[in-house]
Amino acid sequence: MNYVFPSTLAEAVDILAANAGRARVIAGGTDLAPMFRDGKIDASVLVDITRIAGLGEIEIGDEWIVVGAAVTFAMLRDTPYFRERVPALAQAAASVGAAPIQAMATWLGNIAQAMPAADGGIVAVALEAEALVEDPAGSRWVPVETLYKGAKTSSLDSTRQLLSHLRFPRPRAGWASSWQRSGRRPSLTLPILNCAVTLRLAPLATPQAQAATAGLATTQAHAAPAMLAAPQAPAASAPAAAPEGAAPFATIASATIALGPVATLPFRARGVEAFLAGKTPDNYVIEEAAALATSECHPRSNPLRASGDYRSALIPTLVGKALREARDRAIATMVREQQ
Amino acid sequence: MEKARVEFVLNGKAAWVESDPRKPLLRVLREDLGLTGTKQGCDLEGECGACTVIVDGVALRSCLLPVGKIAGRSVTTIEGMGSREAPHPLQTAFLEAGAVQCGFCTPGMLLSAKALLDRNPHPTKEAIVTALEGNLCRCTGYVKIIEAVQSAAELMGGEARTPASEARTQETIPDPAASAMGREFSGIGGSPERHKGWERVSGEALFAEDISMPNLHYMSVVRSPHFHARVDALDVAPALEVPGVLRVLTAADIPGENGLADYSLDEHLLAPVSGRVRMLGDPVALVVATSREAATQGAKALRVDYTPLPHRTEIDRALEAEAIPIHDGGNLLAEDEVGTGDIEGALGESEVVVQSKYITSFQAHMAIEREAAVAYIDEEGRVAVICANHEPHWDRSSLSKILGLPEGKIRVITPPIGGSFGGKQDIWPMAAAALAAYHLRLPVQLAYTRREVMDAAPKRHPYKCDCVVGATREGELTGMKFDALINKGAYDSAGRYVPNYAVTAAVGPYRWKATKARARSIYSNGPKAGQFRGFGTPQAAFAMECSLDELCEKLGADPLEFRLRNALRENDVSGLGFRVAESLDYVKVLEALAPDYHEASLGVAAFNAEAKPGLRRGLGFAGMWYRFGKFGRPLSQAEIELGLDGSFTIYASGADYGQGIETVFTQLAAERLGVSREALRLVNADTAHTLDGDVTGASRNTYWVGGGVTDAARGLRAAILDAAASLLDQAADTLTLRDDRVSSPRGELSLARIAQELEARGIPRRVKGTIDLRDVFPDNERTGLYLPMFVTGACLAQVEVEIETGLTRVISVSSAHDVGRVINRRGAEGQIEGSIVMGMGSVLMEEFIPGLSTGFSDYMIPTMRSTPDIRVHLVETPSRYGPFGVKGLGEAAMLATAPAMVNAISRAIGLRIRRMPATAERILAAIRGEKTTE
Repeated sequence: MNYVFPSTLAEAVDILAANAGRARVIAGGTDLAPMFRDGKIDASVLVDITRIAGLGEIEIGDEWIVVGAAVTFAMLRDTPYFRERVPALAQAAASVGAAPIQAMATWLGNIAQAMPAADGGIVAVALEAEALVEDPAGSRWVPVETLYKGAKTSSLDSTRQLLSHLRFPRPRAGWASSWQRSGRRPSLTLPILNCAVTLRLAPLATPQAQAATAGLATTQAHAAPAMLAAPQAPAASAPAAAPEGAAPFATIASATIALGPVATLPFRARGVEAFLAGKTPDNYVIEEAAALATSECHPRSNPLRASGDYRSALIPTLVGKALREARDRAIATMVREQQ
Repeated sequence: MEKARVEFVLNGKAAWVESDPRKPLLRVLREDLGLTGTKQGCDLEGECGACTVIVDGVALRSCLLPVGKIAGRSVTTIEGMGSREAPHPLQTAFLEAGAVQCGFCTPGMLLSAKALLDRNPHPTKEAIVTALEGNLCRCTGYVKIIEAVQSAAELMGGEARTPASEARTQETIPDPAASAMGREFSGIGGSPERHKGWERVSGEALFAEDISMPNLHYMSVVRSPHFHARVDALDVAPALEVPGVLRVLTAADIPGENGLADYSLDEHLLAPVSGRVRMLGDPVALVVATSREAATQGAKALRVDYTPLPHRTEIDRALEAEAIPIHDGGNLLAEDEVGTGDIEGALGESEVVVQSKYITSFQAHMAIEREAAVAYIDEEGRVAVICANHEPHWDRSSLSKILGLPEGKIRVITPPIGGSFGGKQDIWPMAAAALAAYHLRLPVQLAYTRREVMDAAPKRHPYKCDCVVGATREGELTGMKFDALINKGAYDSAGRYVPNYAVTAAVGPYRWKATKARARSIYSNGPKAGQFRGFGTPQAAFAMECSLDELCEKLGADPLEFRLRNALRENDVSGLGFRVAESLDYVKVLEALAPDYHEASLGVAAFNAEAKPGLRRGLGFAGMWYRFGKFGRPLSQAEIELGLDGSFTIYASGADYGQGIETVFTQLAAERLGVSREALRLVNADTAHTLDGDVTGASRNTYWVGGGVTDAARGLRAAILDAAASLLDQAADTLTLRDDRVSSPRGELSLARIAQELEARGIPRRVKGTIDLRDVFPDNERTGLYLPMFVTGACLAQVEVEIETGLTRVISVSSAHDVGRVINRRGAEGQIEGSIVMGMGSVLMEEFIPGLSTGFSDYMIPTMRSTPDIRVHLVETPSRYGPFGVKGLGEAAMLATAPAMVNAISRAIGLRIRRMPATAERILAAIRGEKTTE
């Protein structure tokens, strides 16, 4: 049994190739350790990629945000840019087990393990992230979503391939994310339901709308724009629309909604996403979208965690909350940009 | 398996191992490097945090770290944290704050805290919770751990600090008479450090699994994969072929009785061929080998042919004629019934009656330490077992029957215990290890996997309770009916006593005109249910205190006023038909909570008036009584010896699994002798050295064994003073015994000198003390076997429910308990705080599902983040007969918490919850008016 620390990606790929299926990639190791215990991994060489130069870095580029394969959830959780600008990612990272797990487990490892409701996988799918697959044939970016082949089954062959980086587009004004999660206790537990949402709003090019936006920006500065007050209304009452006088000033250019565990894979609620496209992000629309999400998902029962019915009941609540939160954040970014 | 050399830095020094690089660092530390301070609680899957170490400044799970990964890294374990001479401030703070109960989670907790303080010297409470919430603790409720970290941060920051030892108790409500009893010595009522505390914060304490011996062998257990099956055949040959396997033991190898003696009347040690297995994990054979791996492989290789039989883990139809018989003789194990007055008349005349059904689930103890034992042949040829227990002498007697040996050929030693809560009263692990040592004449270790703990260790009994309570319109209680069906699981495991505990708790500390309470223990193929903190009483208290709350709502009565009005007074005849025999002041307990109750009522009303969207708060109240002290001889004994060097040694038997009885023994003895605790040694719970202290259970040890210790101290002190008096030619009552000497106006003598004098005169230096209440309880005709001694308590809980999801948070809890007399303040608070958080787990999340619950990952216990704000009120109504007026607490603290929380949830949502756990799912179903399966 060999445990090796290649210092470059090329070396890692070479070791995998040289061992022809008898070597296996290991990153944080939190998922693999119980598999070693159970004798489920029969490799003669473990290729630990966490000491490859550069893989432990997060690069916030102009175009892309690139995250290396050795980046742990703790790093994602603590990166100020993510906390500020991609809170869905920071919060999903903070949801994985607890701090000592987050300090070891990596985002890309989480994806490579292909668990259907892994927090890292759900948020990556919502971010429409791409992973860089490395093997002797070279390296290529593939959508993370396409790596999932079935429950706990990845299209990646970790005895011959590895994921070196993950990237997603750098957020622009009008784009925002939200993360929602429900579990039997607040930490150190798998989710009953988790949900990541992103929204990209496009400003309406009407003079009133621009005036409204500008007005919000000048009068309310960093406080919540008037429209943000809407979701604060009691849940029992009818959903509030944009407040009187504040004409809608943005539409939803695109939305992504990822949920788990409601299918054998991280689930994209594409029907809801399509429904939202082009619509005004008011509370009526969001409520309708949230209700629609339930019909798209078919969660299963697990007597130890929750019934399928309960999960279904949570879907509109969590999706609704996520959409409202993403909407409010997105508007805030537009307001900020106008300032 | 090919090994690799891994070099790293360990506690500041270069280290290396030759190991399979996949081997978890945890096992390398414990097995290859002999550093057993790092603990294993789960099955190496990162679920409990007991194995936390620091790697390059970061707290990590050593069970998830393949050792290959740490090449070149710097690892800090508990052994590298501090020394007795130079402790780390966190170690000091943990001891001062009372943050250490059993001590099993402590090393991991300390390292998580150290990593935090090293990078963030001034953490907020939120930062502490974030850093430590991955470390599970089942004893403390986390309150004092958080305080200890805060205190250490202040200490390390060089700030003037509030010592963590300053009690959290809101106040003590003393009895006026108590001052007459005096608090003349510092020992009683203070918050001394835990006895053998340093061992627990340094990793030095050797729990059973930490003990190494030359030539130690390992055991694995062949267990039933079926809930119910006949064992047709056993083929041990494949197991014996596994390299390293020495021996396979089956039922045929048991020299004495194939049973668990008095602990469980109908349970085998190993299922015999042509016998039956009745639960998942039922043991069939033992495999002994030179390594853990070989033992495990041997157990896997052994072939057992079963014929599966129909099974049920529920009891709903178990008493019907066509039910599957789990034992010959039917499915009813035991029943008990109490009653007073004309119940139908009383209910018939009631203007308000509430009738409802309450349901609870199997619950697991989840002590962080797994069951473990080491057995060997000692220097006197005895079969010696080091194993967690609740009374070593009882267990010695049971082992004698199983091994067919006289008791003198057996020795039971109690090691530090990593939490029990009643679960480790099961003598199976001890018996299995003893059987192996008996046959092999070698030291043998048995350690359950967490999965084995889940399947085969005892659980809390699920109840289905039919309750009827009545009252007049003015709010005066009339009659109560209670009928409980108790799911016993597969074996007795002391379940024959549970019906009595159930009916006793159900009647409660109330004035009833008439009562009728019945409970039946019924077999199922669920896990054997056994002792678990409160032993059959928390379920009954839940059902009845929730029923009373329903009655209050129907009457429009205030729950606190209502209980005050109907509280049983000391001289009343209870609903059991007799008066209580110890002091009882339930009214004082209830009144102690009144200020918190009124404050919280206003807070809840204000919160709900704000109509925060989707959130509702509720306030719940519950009371209880708990019969402490169990049945049996109203007598207990202990000894104290004056050594020839002038030192004292206490010899007593009271297992300490975290509740702190050892600390209490030293306090009681120090107080009576007039010396400091540091002057005392304690030999505890070892059949080779100590007297039978009777079982540690029913919250009886401080009162009973403590009574023996106190009396021994009194007797020894008298002997010392007598000897000193004659040496000094002074009257004994003019002498003072302080620390290491006896002084008088005419001179002083060292205790060593007096010891030599006693020796010379042939006066025993080892004095037996007794608490003997046989005159007080000449016969127990009216009370059954049990002594009618009760403590009371009450609990107030505030919860917040998210209406759209049912997710519930317990915000604050106030708890008041009559402890008789506070002996160890932090210890008492710790018992209550731990009970509140354990009770919260039982309300919100804990549900053991036979065959599905595998460990900490799917049986949720509360983490630090869930800990509510807790206020503790210790009420003192001194007992008549206990030492210094003490009563019992450890289990009592459990009873009122769950019903208070469930009542709070019901009041928050305006609908009744009648099932535990009240998961978010069940609460949402109630809100939406959905019928649940029950």
